Amino acid sequence: MRYKFVPYLLLITYQLTLAQSQVESSKDSILSQQLDEVIVTATRTERQLSSLPLPVTLVGKKQIIKSGTVRLNEILNEQTGIITVADESGFQGVQIQGIASDYILILIDGVPLVGRSAGNFDLSRLTVGNIKQIEVVKGPASSLYGSEALGGVINIITGKPQTEALSGNASYRIGSFTQQDINLDLKQAFKKFRYGFFANRFSSNGYDLNEDVEGQTVNPFTNYTLNGRLYYDFNDKLSLFTSARFYDQNQDAGFTLDSIQYTGDTKEREWNTHARLDHKWTPNLTMAYELYYTNYMATELLADPISTDVLSDSDFNQKLFRPEVRGSYTFASKNENNTGLQNGTLTAGMGLQLDELDRTYFDETVNFTSQYLYAQYDFNPIEKLNIIAGARFDNHSEYNNQFSPKLALRHQLNNNLSIKGSVGYGFKAPDFRQLYFDFTNSAVGYTVLGYNVALDKLQELVEQEQILSVLVTEDELNKPLEAESSIGYNLGFNLKHGRGNTEVNFFRNDFKNLIDTRIIARKINGQNVFSYMNFDEIYTTGFEINSSFKLTDELNISAGYQLLYAFDKQKKQDVADNQVFVRDAESGQSVALAQSDYFGLVNRSRHNANFKVYYDIPNTSTNVNMRILYRSKYAQYDTNGNDLIDNYDTSFIDGFVTVNAAISKIFYKNLTLQVGANNLLDYTDNNIPTMPGIQGYLKLNYQF
Amino acid sequence: MTKNILAVAFLAVAFASCSNDDDITPAEPLLTETVSNLYAPQTGGQGEPVGGEFTKFDFETGAETTSDTDWDIAFRGTTIAVNGGVATGTTDEPTRNGDVSAAIVTGTFTSVTSAADLTFSQDSETSFAIPTGSDNGWYNYNSESFTVTAIPGKVFVFKTTEGNYAKVEFISYYQDAPAVPDPFADATPYYTFNYVYNQNEGDTSLE
Repeated sequence: MRYKFVPYLLLITYQLTLAQSQVESSKDSILSQQLDEVIVTATRTERQLSSLPLPVTLVGKKQIIKSGTVRLNEILNEQTGIITVADESGFQGVQIQGIASDYILILIDGVPLVGRSAGNFDLSRLTVGNIKQIEVVKGPASSLYGSEALGGVINIITGKPQTEALSGNASYRIGSFTQQDINLDLKQAFKKFRYGFFANRFSSNGYDLNEDVEGQTVNPFTNYTLNGRLYYDFNDKLSLFTSARFYDQNQDAGFTLDSIQYTGDTKEREWNTHARLDHKWTPNLTMAYELYYTNYMATELLADPISTDVLSDSDFNQKLFRPEVRGSYTFASKNENNTGLQNGTLTAGMGLQLDELDRTYFDETVNFTSQYLYAQYDFNPIEKLNIIAGARFDNHSEYNNQFSPKLALRHQLNNNLSIKGSVGYGFKAPDFRQLYFDFTNSAVGYTVLGYNVALDKLQELVEQEQILSVLVTEDELNKPLEAESSIGYNLGFNLKHGRGNTEVNFFRNDFKNLIDTRIIARKINGQNVFSYMNFDEIYTTGFEINSSFKLTDELNISAGYQLLYAFDKQKKQDVADNQVFVRDAESGQSVALAQSDYFGLVNRSRHNANFKVYYDIPNTSTNVNMRILYRSKYAQYDTNGNDLIDNYDTSFIDGFVTVNAAISKIFYKNLTLQVGANNLLDYTDNNIPTMPGIQGYLKLNYQF
Repeated sequence: MTKNILAVAFLAVAFASCSNDDDITPAEPLLTETVSNLYAPQTGGQGEPVGGEFTKFDFETGAETTSDTDWDIAFRGTTIAVNGGVATGTTDEPTRNGDVSAAIVTGTFTSVTSAADLTFSQDSETSFAIPTGSDNGWYNYNSESFTVTAIPGKVFVFKTTEGNYAKVEFISYYQDAPAVPDPFADATPYYTFNYVYNQNEGDTSLE
């Protein structure tokens, strides 16, 4: 990753980028994304945020610290069009442009994190204590990152130590529900050697939203994050980066069934080790050689404390190993503006990915292997027009090869106005669960089978005389499951106006081959056997607008809004054809559902808005801020039996507002006291278990 | 079990649907009725073997029956059997000695106007005429709200033991058919359904 390179190298390597930067250096503003800010996720080269032809959200360290957030989900949830929500599995994930967490890739320093619960990546696993910035690229990015990058990529960037003196911070924070967050961050840079060490302990006693239900809504937990980073510059051409990260969480678990209180705990443990050698062969050619290994484990054990009968004992152990080589070459024929096809930056890479998962409900450990190759060309055919064209090829052991192209353009119309547009392909490989699951619900009696094992397992059930009838043919189950895929379109503009900046982006994502469960057989016990298949086609469309104003040097305000429509195409057609019905509440008789009553996909709010004020009180070293977030109503699941969300369903969560505020004051130059409260309006809903009522906190930070 | 006669007279309709010119005897009117709280318990379930007598219903009398022969459809839990075809293999099922068959139509209740040209089926060794399981036959079980909902827009047309036709729309599985049942408070299985019964043997008209 070239963002680690020392700045003077960049000046040479990325003349292109810098050549078109006519941006005035903005002052230290945390809301108007600093226009000279550099991000790496969008192109895998360092690019100025303002010059990119793609929709990007950048969250810097200052905004994170001032807003008093401690986990990644909290700060991302405050960004326009990024929503954290629990799906029907009960696990929380992130939604971007109306696209669910399953289809959003999470990276740390450019390498992927694994360990999802029913497709959801729990962002609260990540502390923000040692983050330099969070880069979110919206829209498909499979042309660079392969599987899972349909809705976007979230890349968490840690900082490289810059000063020779030991620097860092230590902090302690305590809040409601005995939530405690302790951080220690140390950094130092010698001539050739640099290091960073980070430790975080985060704990809470949990909370209870519904006293009528036995047990707490969120049980007590404690987690630790450790991260060590070493950097070594062999010479001005060769430098090494290594990082090891460790995460461990223990949470109490409890479950009451038939008036027996089962107790136990859930454990999560994660390792990431990452090594990269950056090699600058010539001023125009740089290469990176990267090795990455990660292991995510989760276990849950629930037992009757008296009889020691085990109710549930599940484990999950996923490993990923990924070597990758990539390089960037800048063609420069030294004309005035560095324009033309012959003047551009070619970025290319190749790698190998080995995935392995061993878990409960799998017969045996399963492995995936894939090889991939990608290339991208970034150039300015004429002055003020930037084009990025790229593609990636993935060869995978379990599903069809994928070719993922992408094209993006940006045109600077004048000093204040630019337009940008992009179209790209994204895909997600069928996951281990969809291929290898073998689960029978012991209470109800239904069975879920992974696609690759369905035929054999079904045969076993037939032999055990558990099957009444089989509803699919053998041929149907022999055809391999296709990767889920999407084509995403983004078109927007950026307008600078006085002390403000406004960005608008229209988006549309068309998904096909979405994998869902279907019934493949009926059991003697009246229940069904389910397996997975490709059938859903959905789309999400809408627009996003973000405006920020620097009213004075001390006062920043911003407002954001996203409009979203998310529908299943087949169901929309069925509604139009009068083939979907609802029951009239009075007569109980069915009537055809009106098109205007089809609400769309679950967990999608039509409107999301935010308003933020950050104010530095002059001459007092004090910052106050308030963030107001609005989310319009959304439905959790179908309640009236017609298999879609309509206005008559009763699982809607009404629109709500959350207000978060914080005030911080610096004493003696390096001691910061922060007092804040999240959810000031004390909004709670039994159906949003991840949101407790008002949470106050107090934080002391020592910077050195 | 209560029985409400909602409306009886549909004479004009009956005439309109008689295509035979030589049909000179005045046709009996269609019966439109609602059956409420037909109780059809089962034993077992929740992973245990399912059993128990089926609760039988006869369209001719419009009432629950214990007759071993004069019944058309029978209920147990969410399972519905017809008096036609062969034993499915489930325990305690009634002996089928009639020729009842069922057809499933998607549409509103009133949109189903005739039993002609429908594909009828009977219980068999491999399946019920009204398939069991969520989203297969008449109901949807929601695993998030734990609720059994009669799928809206499903109309079931039966040919009875006497050779008459009837159409049925299931309304609720819960006692007193609350619009939004509470699966933890409202009792099951209490079937509420509307039906239209053509009293004229062999006449396929249902409106």
